[in-house]
Amino acid sequence: MKKYFTLIVLSLTLVLSCEKDDICLENTTPNLILKFYDFEKDTIVKKVLIDSIKAIDNAIIEGYTKKTLDSILIPLDLNEFKTVYKISSGGKSDTIYFSYGRNDVFVSRSCGYKTIFENLKIDSFTNNWIKSYNINNTTINNDTTAHINIYH
Amino acid sequence: MIQRHILIFIISVLIQFTAYSQKPELEQEQDSIKTKVSYGFRLGIDISKPIISFLQENTKGFELTGDLRFSNNYYAAAELGYEDVLKTEDYLNYSTKGSFIKLGVNYNAYENWKGMNNQIYIGGRYAFSFFEHTLNSYTPNASGTYFIANPIEAGTNFKDLNAHWLEFVFGMKIETLPNLYLGTQLSLKKMIATKEPKNFKNLYIPGFNRVFSNNLGVGFNYTVSYNIPIINKYK
Repeated sequence: MKKYFTLIVLSLTLVLSCEKDDICLENTTPNLILKFYDFEKDTIVKKVLIDSIKAIDNAIIEGYTKKTLDSILIPLDLNEFKTVYKISSGGKSDTIYFSYGRNDVFVSRSCGYKTIFENLKIDSFTNNWIKSYNINNTTINNDTTAHINIYH
Repeated sequence: MIQRHILIFIISVLIQFTAYSQKPELEQEQDSIKTKVSYGFRLGIDISKPIISFLQENTKGFELTGDLRFSNNYYAAAELGYEDVLKTEDYLNYSTKGSFIKLGVNYNAYENWKGMNNQIYIGGRYAFSFFEHTLNSYTPNASGTYFIANPIEAGTNFKDLNAHWLEFVFGMKIETLPNLYLGTQLSLKKMIATKEPKNFKNLYIPGFNRVFSNNLGVGFNYTVSYNIPIINKYK
């Protein structure tokens, strides 16, 4: 009988000790990725000197000040159906009005739900340094490919 | 929660050992006289569930157990129960309610002294549960703190769900008063199949308890049962 007991205690320890669904390891709500291209030759990536990026009524995003980048990754507001961003580059500022639908998708016990953004649109934008844009993907469900190309 | 279960289990085992040590001299008969062996139906109730219901708010549950001796060491066994629980995870909060039934066999591996009817057993069960969940609220999970998501009071109901699984059980039953038994049972569960809700998951299943990521589960009960003798054999 002792043998059985040892077996049970062992298997219980195995089951209860390291449970991978206790820690959220899956991807959660994705960010919007903007990639910068040359307006003249629209297949060539053209880096941008970012002065600052901020959503209206929010603070400047840390990590995006005085940096030269070919793409940026910005969060969208999960409580609204629109987010307005002000992106400053080389002393000029442009404001972009994003609008989208939201869909909450179950991920796992520890991650809960993530939000997928659908029907992504740019309602309007100012063109001080941004010249035009192209939406590659109207659904934002991953953090890996650019959703919008910005031409400047 | 799990620690509490383990603690209750250890205490119950200790209580049973003290109860069991008082037993031997009660029904001693002379060797020449044949000993009565009763074949009966034993009906019990899990007393851990009402205690947990009392200690934890928003948790209700009860479980009936029964077993029927059909040969010297083998017993047909069944458990039947109902649960209504509220569970909180990091990003969500849900309730689960439903019923379950478990059918199987116990093998008594304990060699009793003459006249004693104790058991240390192992066994197997096939179990079935039908249940529903209500997703009370959740907060969309986004990394970073630039936008903080508000909790959403969903109240979504996921009805008509079911699951079936197999259990390996290990337990003991000690006759503390004539025909009255105290018992405890541990079970390891392995899911066979579940009907999963859309855009949610069966995180907790009545009778199975928490569904671990590898589809395993654990459970225990602590029973008081009464044996109704049906046939008495002498050997």
